[in-house]
Amino acid sequence: MNDLTLWGLFFVCGLSTYLIRLSFIQLHGKLGPLLAKCQPVLLLLPPAILAALCIPPIVFSKQNDGLQVELAQILAGCVAIVLANYFKSLLWPILGGMTFLWGYRWLIG
Amino acid sequence: MQTRDYRSQFWQGVRDLMPLVSGVLPFGLIVGANGVALDMSPELIMGMTVLFFAGSAQLAAMQLIQENAAFVVIVLTTIVINLRFAIYSATFAPLFYPLKKRYRLPFAYILSDQAYGLCIAPDQQQRSDAERISYYLGTAVALLVSWVLSVILGIAVGASIPPEWMLGFTIPLAFLAMLMSTITNRLLLIVAIVSGLAAIFMQGLPYNLGFILAIVTGVIAGLVLPRLAGRSFNSVMGRPHE
Repeated sequence: MNDLTLWGLFFVCGLSTYLIRLSFIQLHGKLGPLLAKCQPVLLLLPPAILAALCIPPIVFSKQNDGLQVELAQILAGCVAIVLANYFKSLLWPILGGMTFLWGYRWLIG
Repeated sequence: MQTRDYRSQFWQGVRDLMPLVSGVLPFGLIVGANGVALDMSPELIMGMTVLFFAGSAQLAAMQLIQENAAFVVIVLTTIVINLRFAIYSATFAPLFYPLKKRYRLPFAYILSDQAYGLCIAPDQQQRSDAERISYYLGTAVALLVSWVLSVILGIAVGASIPPEWMLGFTIPLAFLAMLMSTITNRLLLIVAIVSGLAAIFMQGLPYNLGFILAIVTGVIAGLVLPRLAGRSFNSVMGRPHE
């Protein structure tokens, strides 16, 4: 995408995000029943979105001749999962996973 | 006298947000540095940051741009990720709806996960509306400032990070760490596994449509499975009254 398309994309995304934030504050009371109906979906969305975002790029890397399974990245992901269970901050799982990945590449190549 | 009380509530909000900066800072650094790695100009990254003002959606958009996803898929993804703001909006609606437009509109813009998390604390609920609004402003403005500064820092640092460091891998790791904190019961774990597997199997679909379909598959599994097991959704989620 060129810069102009990107600006357009970010504007549309930003506007949609703002309208979601404004929704109930602006239309107070009119959307209440709708929200109650959607509650189960809204509760299920976070793990569904985050898993769909992170699992494929951890398991595979994109090569010129297609997808390749990346053992080092999968193991780094496991390290991050273990650290995420001990620390609340995002810093430690990310740092631990990256450190493992660097170490693995350095040792095994 | 009264103005002083509001001011003290504002600063109380700022102080309460400070411990959360340790979570915001690395996230902002990753967003800024990955923008640089994607060859985006500093103006473009900051424009994106201010327009989105939503870190996880911004990071997801960056990942999808990297994967050459279609325009519509990126917009849809952003909307789906930010749907949670509708819940926050509903929470603050009774407080903000009576205000004048010139206050209501900017107050909606600065709404964030962190401000929501701090303002729904029980001791805040007992205060007067004016005090609660002052406290909200303190938390929300402090978050906005620390978020923007973190991204700027990320842009400054990102330029000097060599590609061998595989900085791009911090994006899925960040999402993985966030995923772990959202899995609080067995149903949510199953939803995550179904969605993750579906995303792998549908990777080949054009325009990254597989990503959206994987989310739909995961949510449908989460709605259908409790019924198959003969239990209500609320009992599986551990929510007896809602």
